[in-house]
Amino acid sequence: MSPLHIRPIARRRFVQGLAIGGAVAGFAPALLARSAPVSPAELSGTEFDLEIAELPVNFTGKRRIATAVNGSVPAPVLRLREGDTVTLRVRNGLKEMSSIHWHGIIVPAEMDGVPGISFAGIAPGETFTYRFEVRQSGTYWYHAHTLAEQTGLYGAIIVEPKQVPTARAPDRDYCIVLSDWSDEPPLQIFLNLKKQSSYYNFAQPTAGDFLKDVGTMGLGKALERRRMWNSSRMNPTDYSDVSAATYTYLMNGAPPAGNWTGIAAPGERVRLRFVGAGTATFFDVRIPGVELTVVSTDGQPVEPVTVEEFRIGPGETYDVEFTMPEGGARTIFAQAIDRSGYARGTIAPAPGMAAAVPPLDARTWLEPVDMMGAMATMGAMGGDAHAGHGMTEMPARARHARTEYGANTDMRVDYPRTNLDDPGAGLRGRGWRVLTLADLRTPGGDPDPREPERDIELHLTGNMERFIWSLDGIKLNDSRPLHFKPNERLRVTFVNDTMMAHPMHLHGMWSDVEGPDGAFQVRKHTVVVQPAQRVSFRVTADAMGRWAFHCHLLYHMAAGMFREVVVA
Amino acid sequence: MIRIFPSRGIALGAALFLAPAITAPALAQDASPPSPAATPAQTATPAQHTPSAQGSQDHAGMDMPGMDMTDTKASGNGATMDMGSMQGGKAPPDARNSDDYADGYRNSTLPGYEMADKLSIPKILVDELEFASGNEGQGVGWTVLVTKGQDNDKLWLRSQGLKNSRDQRLDPESSVEALWWHSKNPFWGTLLGVRQDLGKGATTWLAAGVEGLAPYWFDVQLTGYVGTDGRLAARAKASYEVLFTNRLILTPQVETNIYSKRSSDRQLGSGFSNVELSGRLRYEVSRKFAPYIGFVWERAFDGTADFRRLRREGPSEHRLVIGLRAWW
Repeated sequence: MSPLHIRPIARRRFVQGLAIGGAVAGFAPALLARSAPVSPAELSGTEFDLEIAELPVNFTGKRRIATAVNGSVPAPVLRLREGDTVTLRVRNGLKEMSSIHWHGIIVPAEMDGVPGISFAGIAPGETFTYRFEVRQSGTYWYHAHTLAEQTGLYGAIIVEPKQVPTARAPDRDYCIVLSDWSDEPPLQIFLNLKKQSSYYNFAQPTAGDFLKDVGTMGLGKALERRRMWNSSRMNPTDYSDVSAATYTYLMNGAPPAGNWTGIAAPGERVRLRFVGAGTATFFDVRIPGVELTVVSTDGQPVEPVTVEEFRIGPGETYDVEFTMPEGGARTIFAQAIDRSGYARGTIAPAPGMAAAVPPLDARTWLEPVDMMGAMATMGAMGGDAHAGHGMTEMPARARHARTEYGANTDMRVDYPRTNLDDPGAGLRGRGWRVLTLADLRTPGGDPDPREPERDIELHLTGNMERFIWSLDGIKLNDSRPLHFKPNERLRVTFVNDTMMAHPMHLHGMWSDVEGPDGAFQVRKHTVVVQPAQRVSFRVTADAMGRWAFHCHLLYHMAAGMFREVVVA
Repeated sequence: MIRIFPSRGIALGAALFLAPAITAPALAQDASPPSPAATPAQTATPAQHTPSAQGSQDHAGMDMPGMDMTDTKASGNGATMDMGSMQGGKAPPDARNSDDYADGYRNSTLPGYEMADKLSIPKILVDELEFASGNEGQGVGWTVLVTKGQDNDKLWLRSQGLKNSRDQRLDPESSVEALWWHSKNPFWGTLLGVRQDLGKGATTWLAAGVEGLAPYWFDVQLTGYVGTDGRLAARAKASYEVLFTNRLILTPQVETNIYSKRSSDRQLGSGFSNVELSGRLRYEVSRKFAPYIGFVWERAFDGTADFRRLRREGPSEHRLVIGLRAWW
């Protein structure tokens, strides 16, 4: 453990929710009858009728109104088949405009479901008919491209491959949709953050922490430890904008006390399809005592890699497989990146079983590498260079935009780190194997072997104090679009100038992530860029029209961390 | 004052008194990257190198005068790195122009476009609303800030005051201001507007100032005034937040007022008129609702003190306060 790790602190117990959270009795009486929540209903075929409507729910003991699809939160699992042309008639039963975006599915621009860019949204009472050919397989998801994503409008999509895979299908196959529920309306959360960005952060360093540090490391080192953060007005506990102070974390719509349960007998092969449907939450997922083989990310197969824990950002999906061990139930544990709470479920041979739930990890501070990038690893890292090993050459200097020198950008990283083998703050030095971006490799090499013809460098920028988020210091409504030429192969290079990780999602086209050496590595639709990190990916601009390109943390997107892309 | 600052464990007493002194260098530093500003914590902490994981913090290259750079150069493979500031500064001539990627295209004009980054957000902060009891009697005090606008341009309505219940007299610093707040810097904004005094002998002033967050989390407001009666004035405020817990928060604050000429109507002398030191300890029942108790010590100088003596009051005043901080 790095000396930067701080001691466990007493923390407020977060709301574990109700054992039978979800739709309020009376509206869905069937819910009361069952002992444990089950996965949302599954719909399959080529024709779908989806109705977006309000649904009274009770996850925390307080009755609230959620946004449901066909009366379900999460929305039903859609099972599609590669090669089919599907028709999805979506009726908006809300009093406000709504939309559904098919996240990661390659569709024509007008079918992409982003209000203002793909179409004008679905007006109240109206039905929009989405129709597209499914040209891929794997695990994807769908969600509102409005603040209603926070209130429950999200669900998993499974696309069956056209050709039956030669490998044996798993015995058990479950979607695990991880999300964050708040009793506060999303607009209220956004306004709270705009008025006080630390509104939900109850883990800020205290005078007591300082005195403890003085006791353990002496006054000089205790001051030294704080100097970088305080001199630059940065908060070393900025993991999440929104915490368990308002969130109850859900697994397939069940709060922790509801204990979503999947069934698997010992020896059975199990596939879990994790969907990062958190609007403001990264989850760190593990099943204690079980090794997880990651076989796919963002719907795309990867060379299998076995880990004990992985981090999933909003927008991402990961398929993991394992053989159900002997010895009864196992806990699926998904703690929020800020360690303020967790989602939890169980995989067990029979319903009604449960295993021990691990304690939340102690909260740690971000490390210098999360602010300084490569600069932190160039200096004396001692033997503790797990976050930046392999850094022997002088890193390339970032090229800042002139718009990064104004009020919207509180910090710039001149020398970002380029290594992808860092599991991220809070997961370093774990003592067990944690997935990193460097572990993810698409078999078969670059799907488009053309070398990129040009580079677009974009910096992820923010002003944490004022909760302003932007790209190159420019908010969406002050920006101009990125122009991609039809069918060109280009490289997008992100430099994260902030201290938070951002899951960046390009609609309509794949993001083919490059390794630090510039070679193709893995195909993604949502690329997590860690603090002070540089990540490049290749794009084949084969999708004509206008597309959204944004941070998938909902409140960052709302605050302006969003660009339009025009392929024309 | 406006937000919650994490306590950074600075030697508080010294830092509080030095807070106004660091303001000017702090501003300069925001404007020009390598400016070596002296700050309290730096004087308190001799620059030292710790060859540990934290040691890398030494190479932050920002706001760290006196740091030993030689080791960085050595471990940086002999390469010379520009350790320029990560904050503030001016764009170099060859900086990218992000609009170049657009090739002349404009954003979509379809209805339903995401507009949340342009919200004009109203906020009412009742920073202090308190009952005061001290050596000059009892009274009611307030500090209120109402803001409305987009991210970098807002209307500010700012008011502070103290009314003594004994003679219904308002403290001479009681005023209300209407200001345009504009920001070109991530931590600082400029203020331009008018101030209207409240109570006997009230003057109207043109107001110009800066406010913001100085390094080490000091909240600072500096305003200069030109009165319609020809007087000049200045008011400086600085505060800090000490988090005993994430809900139990102590806010030490210092305020001083300066006037160019005396005003017998207002009973203010020229020069340094007064200094007020206070500490308010609040408990945030929620972020938006926090009762507090506090102590205020204030001293008048020179002419202002003379006016007080004429009223058979002492030049210094202290009071216990109990009040409420709330915002919405």
